[in-house]
Amino acid sequence: MINSQAVVLGLETSCDETAVGIVRGRNLLANVISSSVDEHARFGGVVPEIASRAHLEAMPGVIAQALLDAKLKISDIDAFAVTAGPGLIGALLVGTSSASGLALALGKPLYGVNHLSAHIAVDTLESDQKLQPTIALLVSGGHSSILQVNDLTNDVITLGSTIDDAAGEAFDKIARILELSFPGGPAIDKAAQSGNPTAIDFPRGLSLNKDLAAHKYDFSFSGLKTSVARYLQASPKFIRADVAASFQEAVVDVLLTKAISAATETGIDRLVIAGGVAANSRLRELANERAAKAGIQLRIPPMALCTDNGAMVAALGALAVQAGISPSGLGFGANSSSGIDRPIF
Amino acid sequence: MTVALVIDTSTNRTLVGIVSGGALLFETHHDDPLGHGEALPKLVQQALAHSAQIDSVIVGMGPGPFTGLRVGISFAQSFASARGIPWVGVCGLDAIASEISVPEFFVAIDARRKEVFFARYVAGVRSIEPGVAQPSQLIKIAIPIFGEATGEFPSALGLAKTAESGLTYRAPVYVRRPDAYPPPTGVKFRPMLQPDLVPAFALEKSIYKSDAWTSAQFKEEFAAKDRTYLVAEFGGALIAYAGAVNLAGTCDVLTLSVAEEHRKKGIGREMLRRLIDWARTQKCEAIMLEVWVGNEEAMPLYESFGFIEISRRANYYGPGKTAIVMRKELQ
Repeated sequence: MINSQAVVLGLETSCDETAVGIVRGRNLLANVISSSVDEHARFGGVVPEIASRAHLEAMPGVIAQALLDAKLKISDIDAFAVTAGPGLIGALLVGTSSASGLALALGKPLYGVNHLSAHIAVDTLESDQKLQPTIALLVSGGHSSILQVNDLTNDVITLGSTIDDAAGEAFDKIARILELSFPGGPAIDKAAQSGNPTAIDFPRGLSLNKDLAAHKYDFSFSGLKTSVARYLQASPKFIRADVAASFQEAVVDVLLTKAISAATETGIDRLVIAGGVAANSRLRELANERAAKAGIQLRIPPMALCTDNGAMVAALGALAVQAGISPSGLGFGANSSSGIDRPIF
Repeated sequence: MTVALVIDTSTNRTLVGIVSGGALLFETHHDDPLGHGEALPKLVQQALAHSAQIDSVIVGMGPGPFTGLRVGISFAQSFASARGIPWVGVCGLDAIASEISVPEFFVAIDARRKEVFFARYVAGVRSIEPGVAQPSQLIKIAIPIFGEATGEFPSALGLAKTAESGLTYRAPVYVRRPDAYPPPTGVKFRPMLQPDLVPAFALEKSIYKSDAWTSAQFKEEFAAKDRTYLVAEFGGALIAYAGAVNLAGTCDVLTLSVAEEHRKKGIGREMLRRLIDWARTQKCEAIMLEVWVGNEEAMPLYESFGFIEISRRANYYGPGKTAIVMRKELQ
């Protein structure tokens, strides 16, 4: 096996997507996702036990389909990678146990990888350019972080993260009170198309000078949520599209203001935006505008690689193989709250 | 002679063995209720060092605590598929029973939440589907109980013998459904207002009888500072209320009461979620509550929100009625 051309199969089960991806070096060979999102819709959020049950049920089929798509046999895989955290513990364990079953059966190396690092690593599948160091804005239903990525496999620093809800979670909650569907991200994006983003001046969390001292790159969305709820209560004749657009603008504005300032202040003129919320059309639009103005090279992976997927896990595994990092060994288990300081377990 | 890799993670024990032709070639285990994920690959590696040739995988399908249970099953199915060999799932209770030779007995294993997963065996044959119950319910029926409490766990030979018997499973034996409730439909949640005091007090009296707050206490509580009170309405009637106070940065749940006929519909869950949200907007560092030690409906709800027992207060709800104090960190 030539390390730069290693065939890596990655498994991802940290939330509600059972996903398997296969890469050869930086080339994507397969990316199969089975989501249990519909089963969670009536609960208005992901139910961990339902997600875990769905992972166990879906996993064999998803692995088989990924191998079929890649036109490979399981014995062609050089190394395995799996999300070991952060995420829902019961869900993660289905992935790590499946992965160690595969690796032990075949006597192949196994890498337990960090979910957040993987979200950024997926960008290496899209480009041959030098991508590191970079600032990364990672926004999803479970995370909202600004990271300084010096080296994806061993040097990632968290500059800031949310102190309460994740951005995607805020979208879900606001969608619920606006009586839009779950997941809230796409529903609000759509409703906002016909709304006025400046109709209501919702607060930008942790943006006042007194907050910036301690929380320069941190986010807070719970005050925004309360503010939207109060507005709806006080304005019985509210215009749904305007509320959606104004809420979305508040989230997107604060995400980008902090991400761009992280890039400017660290002198790193690259920004990657990853995670499910990167699918938001207003976030993409405004990110392009502001990055261009600040002279920052902006990268946003294609949609299918922004939401949780196995290709990103395989991509980070491939980087680890290439960097000559030793495999994670057995018994790394799963860690629901693992920090980014350990991109590879 | 075919060689089977045997795995079980349906109890607090992670078990791995190698069985061939009814003989045990290797067996090892690790006892840790939360350690299946870490332990299993290491134990299997030891087993493979003993026998590289594996012709099939036998795995315990439960019942058992879900998270650990799935570790064994997901490992077994992927190991088998990677090697291109069959896997056979069996009931772990049957495996324990296969090694017991009394005429009639229960097998029971820890199901958490003060319950056990159990099955009943007559002349060595399971007479009912596996179920879940409180231990006291089994004790009432005067037949022996075997299982974790008496040191019996599924063994590699027991699992292999059960696989031979033909009663096999392809899906986990969960017994319990996921604890998930859709948000209640047709129920309206809103802040408590002055006119709600009369119906809320009536509900208080019907639930708590002589332990209820007095009408004066009720009014005083409602009017006091740093508090939030909310109600749930259904068909115009008040069916639940809840309140919390912000005591210098720590939120305390004062009451969470749902009318008897509207319980188990997710109303308490939704109200607690709202109280937690309120505590967050108050920038509280934690939220606390007290619950009667015997309130087995409420405990799983609080635990599912991440409340952890921090202490107990004897006689809190009257003589002999202990309160468990629970706390959830918000920062």
